[in-house]
Amino acid sequence: MPSFQAFIPFLAPLVMIAAAAFAGRHPGDPRRVQRFAEASGVAAVVVALATLLELLLGGRQTSPLIGVAGLGFAARIDALSVSMLLLVSVVGLVVLRFSRNYLAGDPGQARFSGGLTLTLGAVMTLVIAGNLAQLLLAFIATSLALHRLLVFYPDRPKAVMAARKKFLVARLADLALAASLAILWLRFGTADIAAIAEAARAAPAGAADSALIAAALLLALAAMLKSAQFPSHGWLPEIVETPTPVSALLHAGIINAGGFLILRFADVMLMAPPALHALALVGGFTALFASAVMLTQPAVKVQLAWSTIAQMGFMLFQCGIGAFAIALLHIIAHSLYKAHAFLSSGTAVDAVRAASRAEAGAPATSWRVVLAGTAAVVLAALAWMLLPPATDPASLTLAGIFGLGLALLALPAAEGRGISGSLAVALGTALAASLAYALLHAAANRLFAAELPVASLQSGAAAAILMLAFASFALLALLQLTAHRWIATPLGRAARIHLANGLYIDAFADRLMARPLTSSQS
Amino acid sequence: MDAMPSSSAAAIAATPDSASVLAAARSAARRIAPLWPLDSFVAVNPYFGLADHRFADAAASLGRTAGARSTMPRAFYAAALDDGRMTLADLSAALASAPPPSARLFDAGKLAAFAVSTEGEPTAPLDTLADIAGRRTRRDWAGHVVGRISSFAARHFDGGQASWRNPSAPYGLYAAWKAEAAIDRTSEIAGITGFRAIVGALPDDRDAMLVESVERLALTPGQLPSYFERLLRSVGGWAAFARGRDWPGELAGKQGETVVDLLAIRLAHELALYGFLSKDALLRGAFAAARRTYAAPVDPLSEAADCLLQSAYEHAWQRRFLPALLQPASLPASARPAAQAVFCIDVRSEVFRRALETVAPDVETLGFAGFFGVAIDHVGAGGTATDALYPVLLQPRFMVCDAVSPDAAATKRLGHDAGRVMRGFRGAAVSSFAFVEAAGLGYLGKLAADSLQLGRRSDAAVASGRPELDPGEQEGRLTGIPPADRLASAAAILRGMGLTENLARVVLLVGHGATTRNNPHAAGLSCGACGGHSGDANARVAAAILNDPAVRAGLVGMGITIPADTLFVAALHDTTTDLVSILDAETLPRSRAHDIALLKAQLAEAGRAARIERAPRLGIESDPSAEARVMARARDWSEVRPEWGLAGCAAFIAAPRALTRGLDLGGRAFLHSYDWRKDDGFRTLELILTAPLVVASWINLQYYASTVDNRVFGSGNKVLHNVIGGFGVVEGAGGDLRVGLPMQSISDGRKLVHEPLRLTAVIAAPVDAIDRVLAAHDHVRALVENGWIHLLALDGRTMRRRTAAGWRAVEAG
Repeated sequence: MPSFQAFIPFLAPLVMIAAAAFAGRHPGDPRRVQRFAEASGVAAVVVALATLLELLLGGRQTSPLIGVAGLGFAARIDALSVSMLLLVSVVGLVVLRFSRNYLAGDPGQARFSGGLTLTLGAVMTLVIAGNLAQLLLAFIATSLALHRLLVFYPDRPKAVMAARKKFLVARLADLALAASLAILWLRFGTADIAAIAEAARAAPAGAADSALIAAALLLALAAMLKSAQFPSHGWLPEIVETPTPVSALLHAGIINAGGFLILRFADVMLMAPPALHALALVGGFTALFASAVMLTQPAVKVQLAWSTIAQMGFMLFQCGIGAFAIALLHIIAHSLYKAHAFLSSGTAVDAVRAASRAEAGAPATSWRVVLAGTAAVVLAALAWMLLPPATDPASLTLAGIFGLGLALLALPAAEGRGISGSLAVALGTALAASLAYALLHAAANRLFAAELPVASLQSGAAAAILMLAFASFALLALLQLTAHRWIATPLGRAARIHLANGLYIDAFADRLMARPLTSSQS
Repeated sequence: MDAMPSSSAAAIAATPDSASVLAAARSAARRIAPLWPLDSFVAVNPYFGLADHRFADAAASLGRTAGARSTMPRAFYAAALDDGRMTLADLSAALASAPPPSARLFDAGKLAAFAVSTEGEPTAPLDTLADIAGRRTRRDWAGHVVGRISSFAARHFDGGQASWRNPSAPYGLYAAWKAEAAIDRTSEIAGITGFRAIVGALPDDRDAMLVESVERLALTPGQLPSYFERLLRSVGGWAAFARGRDWPGELAGKQGETVVDLLAIRLAHELALYGFLSKDALLRGAFAAARRTYAAPVDPLSEAADCLLQSAYEHAWQRRFLPALLQPASLPASARPAAQAVFCIDVRSEVFRRALETVAPDVETLGFAGFFGVAIDHVGAGGTATDALYPVLLQPRFMVCDAVSPDAAATKRLGHDAGRVMRGFRGAAVSSFAFVEAAGLGYLGKLAADSLQLGRRSDAAVASGRPELDPGEQEGRLTGIPPADRLASAAAILRGMGLTENLARVVLLVGHGATTRNNPHAAGLSCGACGGHSGDANARVAAAILNDPAVRAGLVGMGITIPADTLFVAALHDTTTDLVSILDAETLPRSRAHDIALLKAQLAEAGRAARIERAPRLGIESDPSAEARVMARARDWSEVRPEWGLAGCAAFIAAPRALTRGLDLGGRAFLHSYDWRKDDGFRTLELILTAPLVVASWINLQYYASTVDNRVFGSGNKVLHNVIGGFGVVEGAGGDLRVGLPMQSISDGRKLVHEPLRLTAVIAAPVDAIDRVLAAHDHVRALVENGWIHLLALDGRTMRRRTAAGWRAVEAG
């Protein structure tokens, strides 16, 4: 006898869709529309909490299917879906509340609110999906609903152009996902996602055939397209043509759908190492490339967009090396950070001013950098002796990259007016960050253990990828630590210009999408 | 085509020489109004540089070079005629005071018909080569060029948004661009074949480059001024920012180069497109035709009718506004007031002063420029960077540091270090991933705190501590104010305020600031007279000077006696919340505790009244929570209209407060206290007309221009703003830097909150005294005679209007 609690998660998208419908019926009454939307936002958070309660009390479960021939709608309750539903509903509520005053007076405010709630409804449907059909439909619906928000000001040509680019990429992602899910459905003989995961987990090693590998590769492709990975990233920096709350929602709640797909099918992905390697390579490269570009960007929202591309790359890299639980932690932490960063992007004037006021008195010198960097890393290592993290190669690689990040604290520390104050701050930060990292990783691995396998990829290829990744991140860190030596050289100047232009990937895309030149040949 | 031979003959006859090219470039640069960075965002007259032209001529010229409107769409005036706010009599009055050529062409009936026609509605600006190339190839080359220049300039001027510092920032703009353009491949990928080679072949010397370009584009001297101005206005935001960069040098008498550099960059793009499309005969023909339009004279009548409608609209407003000023004034109280409170002339003070006078009838209020005559570079506690706390028309006299204990300074420095470390952690490649994993979850708390408006509640944007006036030294600059200068400043301040006799026991010097959150344009709500900063430091310095016993002793010798029991007290008016806080209250003499407590209570009560008055305009219904909701705006990170700033500003009144006391001016008037009978040699009048009046007109014209054409003179939609380099905003991902005010500052989304009216200045002084000042200051006379402000003189019961033709009586009502 199916218990009605299993259907609880559906209430979240339903209240959102109701709010969207209300907005559609009352376009001339933004106040009531806004009140309805915010109430729905609160309700969705409550539903997410109730779902969490159900997970704790009733355990992991999939609701009975509403559909035919095994295809349709079913709610999945497990650690992954509950985490994502909580995340999306909290971010959604914040964004809805923010939009009340931010869009006040805009003639399209009711339409805006309707677009936000519809998009949120679609995302929520996606993250609770227990059936392939629901997953695909919600995936497509999310991007279509979002599209309406991206062209909220249809008279802005650049916004329309950017949305068109995004639209093309999204349709490619839809195709890849549809093909991948079709193969999975046929291959596993069920559209029940939990059943597929179970079957995949139970499959003996080497059970993967070419169809399954193709499905995994297509899934990886869909994830990379959805999460703006190189070279399909160009639309994301341009899409800041949209009102700030849309950017916040997109960067915190939608862009990570690619990662969510991989996590949802983590067991399937583990059967197909080539697909994981592809993710690790593309994600890792994107992380390095986009974070370097980020350093050169003078506009706050564009800089945030490049940061998101990089963070999504890093998250997919984590997926690709099998650190799925850590990737989910990364998604959640990044979403909260980035939602706040976009919504508060109006403080950039103060931030830049504060930065220039805190300008260090002395330039970094090599010995100071080495001293401070070594101290930070040693401290981090000490912290990990207190709280030992996992010791498989993937976790060690990630810990190593984390350590490289801490070593970079040497730069601000070494620039201090008197080194002692900033060194103390840097070392304190390194210690606190290491402890937080170790704790959070341990917690993530434990909390998500049921859904997200802690895998160790034991092949030569996997080991090579880990080494390559660490070496690349180390190189980038080293370049930053030695920046004062090369930044003003001709090569350094040229590199900055090329990177500031995102290595022209987008210029080529624009050229392809623009009308051909008609005159010069005439 | 028949004109071809003669014009090419003229071209050969007049190949521009290098001096005339450079002169044309510099004159185009001077027509651009400056723009200040957002952290010191002060109002600028967007027509600065055109003020020596008549308003209608400037409008016609801006239509050609920027595609700008200078008046409202006709429907606006038609509606005013329709609902009776404006009448045929107003149209006649506007015609009567218009310059002859336009007055002859119309009568009131014709004008009324014109208001409902679409005849001669503004058209597109003159074509640049990029415009023509865009039409020929059906690609948006003009947009491409703006995008490239904007991308370069943002990186060049970046104040620290990008953590990878731009190594070419110290170079001149043109040199830096040329070096970068030789590397950047974007334009070639976009389709301008050979762009880097074309740029590489340009002279390194900017002036030589200008001359060579003019020759290659076959421009004649007569075409240059309009063409250059058109090019600059096609990247108008960056041109304005460049002029702002040149400004301090220009004040010091140096020639600014940044705008001319920008012109050279823009010109280089024209040249590149010309070279790339050189085989296109149709394009060459179209450009030849465009060149001729640049030399064509501006049609002075093209905007005349629209400008007449605007004049009539202003006349209608004055007809309603002025009579109140002619009512018999209440006699000035001769008894000693309980307290005097000096506020900034800012229109927002009018609401508060009126409220305070109602609450405390025995308190006298005065209006004076909010920097209190103290032009200082200010260094906050423990810092090294200075804030320029003075009107942008002035230069600083002194540098003043806050007095801080070594402990406080060390704490502050540690805070700076911590901030730098966290920014490095968050912002560097590689470490940003570590940052997100270690600290990202913590942002849940920040999201909650900001959404629920938790956290520190700031009553006022008090940025300063107690100022240290005694001489000192910081980073090679002398700090403090020497005693002799204190005495001179004190005398100037008191005379300027007209506060040389009958001083009360407490004289409150009230600076102002605004508390808002997450608002790139926050500085625009602060005190413009303090360079877009909060005025607390200036008020503190002024109070300290005036309380200095040595200064008071010296003043006696200058004929000014400050009663021994008079105490000057600094305060800060937070215009968002209407809270007035008394600064350094703990350092005031114990014996005055009662006076201060009473004043505090009165200020609090006045604040309540002011908030309740402002609430309806903010769209808040009058219910018991209205006041709290006005205050909440200061703390709301999602609020795009924390307050209305100076929206609505329409009048400037320099007169004794007795003349306006009791009148409800609706927060629309700058009020400067002035009594010509006390003004020895009319020196204060000269100061008022050349400084506060000019600043008020800048503010007024900024609001005016942002309202009539927000695309050109405003900064567009706040919800799309993207802060660039920490100094400016663009709309969306890129494009030209935006100037002026956002739409949200002038409109509530449904209707305009700022009514576009050129400033009506009413000066209570004899006309010949005013004329003497105008005769000595051409730039002020130009503002008046060219129709940028309405100047009226009030002498007893008679009011007269000054136009280019002289003074004429104004019939009241």
